[in-house]
Amino acid sequence: MDPFLIKLAIGGLAVLGAIGLLFGIGLALAAHKFAVKANPKVEEVLEVLAGAQ
Amino acid sequence: MKDLRLHVIVVGLLLLGGMLLAGCGAEHRFIKKISFKGTNQIEIAFAGPVDEKWAKNVENYAVYEEPDPDILLNITDVNLAQGGKAVILTFESDLNQTQPHLVTLQDMMAEGRSMGTALLTVKKLYFGYLFSILLGAMIIKNFVFTKYLGLCVFFGTSQKKSTAVGMGITFTIVMIASAMMSWFLYQFVLKPYRLDFLQIIVFIGLVSLSVQAVDTILRKVNPALFKAFGVYLVLVIANCIILAVPLILANSEYNAWESLMLAVGAGTGFLIALFLMSSVRERLELANVPPTYRGLPIAFITAGLFALAFMGFSGMSIF
Repeated sequence: MDPFLIKLAIGGLAVLGAIGLLFGIGLALAAHKFAVKANPKVEEVLEVLAGAQ
Repeated sequence: MKDLRLHVIVVGLLLLGGMLLAGCGAEHRFIKKISFKGTNQIEIAFAGPVDEKWAKNVENYAVYEEPDPDILLNITDVNLAQGGKAVILTFESDLNQTQPHLVTLQDMMAEGRSMGTALLTVKKLYFGYLFSILLGAMIIKNFVFTKYLGLCVFFGTSQKKSTAVGMGITFTIVMIASAMMSWFLYQFVLKPYRLDFLQIIVFIGLVSLSVQAVDTILRKVNPALFKAFGVYLVLVIANCIILAVPLILANSEYNAWESLMLAVGAGTGFLIALFLMSSVRERLELANVPPTYRGLPIAFITAGLFALAFMGFSGMSIF
């Protein structure tokens, strides 16, 4: 294999991995910071309902 | 909070002023103004009358586009105007006015005295250029009616005016966020590392990222607005305009401002399309449509008529 292509592939993996990790952490932090307390009863009631819609 | 808003407004005004100033400006004390005129002319206004003998000599002018200094443009005619205070250069072919042009005036002679050599830049007002990108994406090259993109969401959410406007606004916000992020990533990460073949994957990821981020933040910050957006926020991911804009940006050489204008134009263009369509469809509910055409078929016909009407804008250019 052409060493240039191998370099490109590894670079691509590294860059995409880094982007994914960065944004994943960012989203996780945002979700933690802007967490909304959901009422567990809402979920339970929805479970019991027929849920055709 | 109020202070912060004031700061943002002041900074914004400064930036706008800077862009306006960057658009015009003559660099020589004897030159008052230089601008494009028509499709193949450049007008130069002087502070005083210039000698006709100097002005009429084509050899005294050298004009070229900024990126190609070795290709001089052919001047066919030189006319004096305003009693010798202005010179109009006519060129053999139409000028590419999106490029800045450099004009050299050799040894200007005015009333027998030499005024030195001037090197001038002539370009269109940058503001006007940005505005033309905005209007182009919004109306002239409307993504829905001239490129037939984003049709599923377009037909799905254009039944009622309120849902159409909600979808349009949500879409515009997400569009601006994801287009700016993808422009930045493409220019500063993908292009330098020669990873542009991965652009579609990265752009799809960025779109879903911005949708998720808007979802998470809005849920907490403004629950009322979140409720109003409802299901449309998630639907934005399924819209292909939102992927088309980053791909167009990747293929063109737009800078940050121009990209922003394209994103805003695409978003508001979609909003306009949805609003127009929902207004018609609300009335169609009351119309006596033949049974076979009721619902989606008549909507498709209406969209086709809209597309025909929008063809009237095609080929228009502003500024």
